[in-house]
Amino acid sequence: MAPVIALNPVDYAIIAGYILVMVLVGYSLKKHMKTGEDFFLSGRSLPQWITGLAFLSANLGALEIIGMVANSAKYGIATVHFYWVGAIPAMVFLGVFMMPFYYGSRVRTVPEYLKLRYNEATRGLNAVSFALMTVLMSGISLYAMALLFKLMLGWPLTQSILVAAAVVLLYVFWGGLSSSIYNEVIQFFLIWLGLLPIVFLGLRQVGGFAGFGARIQETLLHSFKYLGTSGNPLGVDWFGVVMGLGFVLSFGYWTTDFLVVQRALASKNLNAARMTPIVAAFPKMLVPIIVVIPGLVALLVLPEFAPGAAPTAEYNSALILLMKHYLPNGLLGLAVTALLASFMSGMAGNVTAFNTIWTYDIYGTYIRKGRPDAHYLKVGKYTTVAGIAASVGTAYIVRSFPNLMDYMQLIFSFFNAPLFATFLLGMFWRGATAWGGFWGLLAGILTAAGHYILYKAGVLNYHSDMAANFYQAIWAWSADFVVTIGVSLFTAKRDPKELVGLVFGLAPKPKAEARWYARPAVWGTLALIAAAVLNVIFW
Amino acid sequence: MNDTNGTKGQGAGMKRGHVLDLKLPIGWLLAAYGALLTAYGLLTEKEMYAISLGINVNLIWGLLMLAVGAGFLAAAFLKKKKSAG
Repeated sequence: MAPVIALNPVDYAIIAGYILVMVLVGYSLKKHMKTGEDFFLSGRSLPQWITGLAFLSANLGALEIIGMVANSAKYGIATVHFYWVGAIPAMVFLGVFMMPFYYGSRVRTVPEYLKLRYNEATRGLNAVSFALMTVLMSGISLYAMALLFKLMLGWPLTQSILVAAAVVLLYVFWGGLSSSIYNEVIQFFLIWLGLLPIVFLGLRQVGGFAGFGARIQETLLHSFKYLGTSGNPLGVDWFGVVMGLGFVLSFGYWTTDFLVVQRALASKNLNAARMTPIVAAFPKMLVPIIVVIPGLVALLVLPEFAPGAAPTAEYNSALILLMKHYLPNGLLGLAVTALLASFMSGMAGNVTAFNTIWTYDIYGTYIRKGRPDAHYLKVGKYTTVAGIAASVGTAYIVRSFPNLMDYMQLIFSFFNAPLFATFLLGMFWRGATAWGGFWGLLAGILTAAGHYILYKAGVLNYHSDMAANFYQAIWAWSADFVVTIGVSLFTAKRDPKELVGLVFGLAPKPKAEARWYARPAVWGTLALIAAAVLNVIFW
Repeated sequence: MNDTNGTKGQGAGMKRGHVLDLKLPIGWLLAAYGALLTAYGLLTEKEMYAISLGINVNLIWGLLMLAVGAGFLAAAFLKKKKSAG
């Protein structure tokens, strides 16, 4: 198959410029990596605009962008639920209510919090599953990148995989989490600058929002209006959207996934840590501009998605086809660089999360305890090499089993949704006991797995896979919630003295609060109001 | 963002500050991209822009990126001057 896009030397110069800058940034950080905290948590020294943008970008991977443009072409404006319902409230909750326990307790990882609040078994379950997931996810995104660049540009698969892995290895090995975070911030700007020209040109050609209104079917133009029943394009009713996506899945992901939480832990103080997800919430609200509008434009300008006939291309190719449709060489190279950057930063994010969890929660807990800090710094660096090698291996496994990608996404969802119940009870109910936490988490994971098997066997029926996914999250969360409470009533309580700083109501008195205009609660409220207004406008 | 309003006394990490002013690499990268796209836009013929609705997007976007990049560099420069002075 011929490549979709042809690049010229100017485009290649733009791609090369990005790689050069990333390697130089990594190299310049090398001499600052003296302790474990420098390498794994950026020495807890970063300002909130950097951690905030990195927090957002860690989630704004290329697969996410391509997938959301596809969703928009398929489901229309309802795609905004993934942002205004499925992200903003959870991000504000993390910043205002949960971050004091994460950052305030000085834990270095999410599993470490579970160990302090519950017990070793709960930490082990979370650490091992998370480490496995990150390395697999990093391999999956590596393979997805190589596949995309093969189809789009005709680059050979193996070379793409090895070159991307080598670049990520270089800068993470030198600069640890700082490298990863800096790459994410640069990626944030590249994504906007790379994709906005498509938005402007698309809107100009179709005649702005009025053009959408005149030529796109009504059911694709509203976020909530058609959610009364599950007969809408999404196949999910409002309860599934609000509870499944808005509550369980979104809170599960944004508040417990170490990949994003790690960015906030790198902040220079508690106020900056709490502001991190809230700073991220504002640009997150605007991401639909670069994903939903292109999706709708694709319906109107690309012959492949012309209405009245079955689409002749996969929805996932919508963004690439739009790049080909609108961008001349030059800007084309910039858009390709933006996608490349978001793949690489996604991989770097997974690798840094993996080496931190491995070094602190697995190696430093079960294999070699109590060594000097320098030992763990060295282990972290070499874990980076091992993690990247494992990712390359995974990329080739995925290559022979393309469906593995779907399964992995799914298994990922098994862990996140119930984990949020464990955290919610752990942070806000002091009666949750150590074994309550463990059995609740296990019950949640097993419920998700059981629901999935029943759905696949045809015992449970939904209007769409997305609906099944949302309801699976609701069941898994509920099982965790109920079992944690149930077991807690019959097992030994923790001494409240051990829980100081870990549970709401037992926190030490906060030191002097920041001035009102720097307070997380103020900005968090503003973010919620803005998201509510957007929901009403596009109702 | 304002760096001085945080909760005080959160340990040693606070004083050290972050080790690299990220505005510099972002500024240089965007400015270089802007300069390249601007030059390319000036050197290329109109026919190439048929797909972008007849607009020389390389030129326009190049100038915009040049301005954004210069903005980052200026902010980094001012900060350095302030902390030195």
